[in-house]
Amino acid sequence: MKERLGVYICHCGGNISDYVDVEKVRAAVEHEQGVVIAKTTMFACSDTNQTDMVQDIHEHNLDGVIVASCSPKLHLTTFRNVTERGDLNKYTYVHANIREQASWAHSDDKLGATEKAIRLVKAAIAKSRYADPLFPNQFEAEKTIAVIGGGIAGMKAALSLAEKKSNVILIEKENQLGGHTAEWGSLFMTDEKGFELTARIESDLRKYNNVTILTGTEVTDTKGSIGNFELKIRRRPQKEDDPMEIIELHVGSIVVATGYDHYLPKQGEYGFGTSETVITLPEFKQLVDKSAGKSLEFNGKKINNIAYVYCVGSRQNEGENTYCSRFCCTSVIHTAIEAKKKFKGIQNIHLTRGIRTYGKQELLYAESLQMGDLYLQFDEYNLPEIRTEGKKTVVTVKDILSAGKEMEMEVDLVVLVTGMVPRADQSIGTMLKLPKGRDRFFNEIHMKLRPVETVIDGVTIAGTCQGPKNISESVNSALSAATKSFSYISKGTLETEPIIAEIDQDICSWCDKCSNACPFDAIEQIETGGRKVASVNPMVCKGCGMCAPVCPVDAINLIGYTSEEMMSMIDALA
Amino acid sequence: MEERKIIEYDALVIGAGIAGGEAAINLANTGYKVLLVEKDHSLGGKMILLSKVFPTLDCAACITTPKVSEIARHKNITVFTESEVTHIAKKGDNDFVAQITKKPRYVRVEDCTACQLCEKACPVSVRDEYQFGLIGRKAAFIPFSIANPKAAVIDIENCTLCGACEKACPTHCIDFTMETEYYELHAKTVILATGFNLFDPLEIPRFGYGQYKNVITSMQMEREIAPTRPYNTILRPGDGKVPDRIAYVLCTGSRDNTVGNPICSQICCMYSMKQAQLLMGALPMADITIYYIDIRAFGKGFEEFYRQAEGMGVNFVKGKIGKITEKENGNLIMRYEDIAEGVVKEAEHDMVVLSVGVKSNPSAGKIFDGNSLKLDPLQFVAQQDLLGSPAKTSIDGVFVAGTASGPMDIPDSILSAGSASSEAISYLTRCQSV
Repeated sequence: MKERLGVYICHCGGNISDYVDVEKVRAAVEHEQGVVIAKTTMFACSDTNQTDMVQDIHEHNLDGVIVASCSPKLHLTTFRNVTERGDLNKYTYVHANIREQASWAHSDDKLGATEKAIRLVKAAIAKSRYADPLFPNQFEAEKTIAVIGGGIAGMKAALSLAEKKSNVILIEKENQLGGHTAEWGSLFMTDEKGFELTARIESDLRKYNNVTILTGTEVTDTKGSIGNFELKIRRRPQKEDDPMEIIELHVGSIVVATGYDHYLPKQGEYGFGTSETVITLPEFKQLVDKSAGKSLEFNGKKINNIAYVYCVGSRQNEGENTYCSRFCCTSVIHTAIEAKKKFKGIQNIHLTRGIRTYGKQELLYAESLQMGDLYLQFDEYNLPEIRTEGKKTVVTVKDILSAGKEMEMEVDLVVLVTGMVPRADQSIGTMLKLPKGRDRFFNEIHMKLRPVETVIDGVTIAGTCQGPKNISESVNSALSAATKSFSYISKGTLETEPIIAEIDQDICSWCDKCSNACPFDAIEQIETGGRKVASVNPMVCKGCGMCAPVCPVDAINLIGYTSEEMMSMIDALA
Repeated sequence: MEERKIIEYDALVIGAGIAGGEAAINLANTGYKVLLVEKDHSLGGKMILLSKVFPTLDCAACITTPKVSEIARHKNITVFTESEVTHIAKKGDNDFVAQITKKPRYVRVEDCTACQLCEKACPVSVRDEYQFGLIGRKAAFIPFSIANPKAAVIDIENCTLCGACEKACPTHCIDFTMETEYYELHAKTVILATGFNLFDPLEIPRFGYGQYKNVITSMQMEREIAPTRPYNTILRPGDGKVPDRIAYVLCTGSRDNTVGNPICSQICCMYSMKQAQLLMGALPMADITIYYIDIRAFGKGFEEFYRQAEGMGVNFVKGKIGKITEKENGNLIMRYEDIAEGVVKEAEHDMVVLSVGVKSNPSAGKIFDGNSLKLDPLQFVAQQDLLGSPAKTSIDGVFVAGTASGPMDIPDSILSAGSASSEAISYLTRCQSV
């Protein structure tokens, strides 16, 4: 039992101390059994306080440390490391969350928030007394990395890993690499052609013999965890009479780069599917890229006036896509400029929701204005209308740039500026249990500082599967993801948390309730001494604790959360 | 010729803001030895000085300090503060020679406990640059409360050499005999993370910045709402009154050819909306108006954040500000073109925040021989292969991270830093295997 505890209560620069009286919390716990020092601090996570804590541990000969601050998701690791620098076992550190659970949850009740914070800290102190030293599990990691998706992000991730001498397997469901980028001609900002860009990356990729490119393949099953993932993949027959090939792969980390789908307007949305003169941005880009001749023709008809309707499938007021698709403003303006330069008699009319050519992309918008493109603006409550009158296509819009005047124009072509949506095929995400955001794209661990890592250790996300991006942003994201995946496993050994479930196999009589409850497939049936019992795979178990309460014979213990620790916490809270 | 100490590292990272720090950590975690050179007194760049960040409203200090702490403690990273790289020559692949000048801090960092007794003793007051001039500081001072390293500095430009700090210091860590140190660094690769400069609103006299006290910059407002804020509440600087009609002027110094900056700064719409939301929390009765040209809420969760600001009651006015004039009581009259109604209008506010944009920091261009490091027309570091390899510069083995190549927000800076460090690791691997 620990008898020399240090307690630190954080102001969080006001985030906590504006609602919780931290001094009162400190006074309430300083005489708790075993507490040697109790301090408040402006930012417990600051370097200075960390240094002070290490010094306190040594000077006061502490054997346990408790910090009452923000969510353990943010700083549990920070303070475990501080404890370790103080030469204590880092798993004896106990964290109390008095920000999310006290000050933020009860900002309308300062006294109550303070009282709750006191109890939370007392419970943490109680747990700390019984916290045993734990040691991480070590095991070997496979050094091969799988990249799923062979678009620009996946190809660049694979290439950058190959350059680092890592073994890479690039898995693409189509029969060729390149993804959406290879569909495009001229790209904005550099005017390089999309298919040329992907071709040069592919040719670089094919120079490396540590890269295996599997096209026409799909992942059908995944198992395991960081360091040791098992992927089952199905390869379509390469020749007619070939059988379907099933390949099993053993990899240490996975980069998911499954990309996006183009938003497909609903039947009748802005005349899509009902009017022949209404097409989407990808279709228009293809048309401009592939048309030759002096004028632009569509369905045999010469095109002069083109109306572009922005934010189709993005920033929806009614509909599930509330997000902005980020690339479309710049892409359509660039294509409109191309069309005007390439063909005679083009007049571009942009019906926008406000132009978002952020950063240097603004220069394209400026160029388009200089070339005489017309810009009108509508809001989410008054969408433009498109109707067909005989052979004419008429667009009406309430233009907020001219005091809400109703404008009507006859055009030859309507381009619906469609955005990005998450892949309809979400099987990879489901198999790997990747969390999704409100926008249904895959979610990162932390939006600001950890944008390519996921809560599934060893799995990173690259490119547009995480959210809309343009090409250079996708490449930056891909290289970041590749670097993180590489650094996870490049040493060949891995450590995992010791906080996992353990099964008392003498008591267990295998009823399979625990394995059904486990969200990570970490529990399997084994035979020992002629009996069927449950066994926990320590590499897969995340220590979530879902199994422990469902066991009818109480055979499951969660290391780090022993009954002793939990009961003492409950006593302190009561 | 001064004597130069010769040092050797695998990688040189210039700039210890969030991009440089992330790049350094990536390299260090892969096993490379990194020298991280910062001209300022602390790690953390501009991010560490922010209040909260959009759209998560995470407290910037809470998420920056652990990162900064990780950098400072990493066994593969050496940090030089108060230091500038004055020249880099490329001698061959994996062979860069850099000249570094490390200015004296006049304080032995390892002995300083940041007790602030020197601050109390120092008789010299000057404007505090870390609070963007809102308050003063002493000539012997701790840069800011979450600075790293957290140790005193003597501002020798303003110091009168009275010796009061030296006498007050209990650990005798102040040392006026310290001198500038010169280093010659041999490194195999270089990452430029030199960041950006804020637009100086004095360039637009019609907005009255510097003339009207209640016209402040967004960075000053950022400090007013930060946890380590100077006034411990939100005040207008003219008379200390709590403001209740605050206006934001977006695109101050951005999308504006008259000040030579035609591009969009990418971050101002979002940080202004963030500040507006925080102000509404701090001053529930205040009216906040944002004057904008276009709202650029393009990133993950941004559009939803914009809707949230609207929902909270932030008043968005599509309008271009012509001129700002001051009334006798310190209030400000904004003359603007209301684009929705097509008329010129006037509105009164008691505090105006200029949402200043991102300008390039061209310093990196000068340290390489001749014009070997190409800059773009706006003096950002030019990206040699923007679509295929955005971190590559005109020099093989020199990579760019973060806002040194153009405006971007924090996640994009992190991704760009990840990209630069990935390229640097590939470059190191390629050259080692030849």
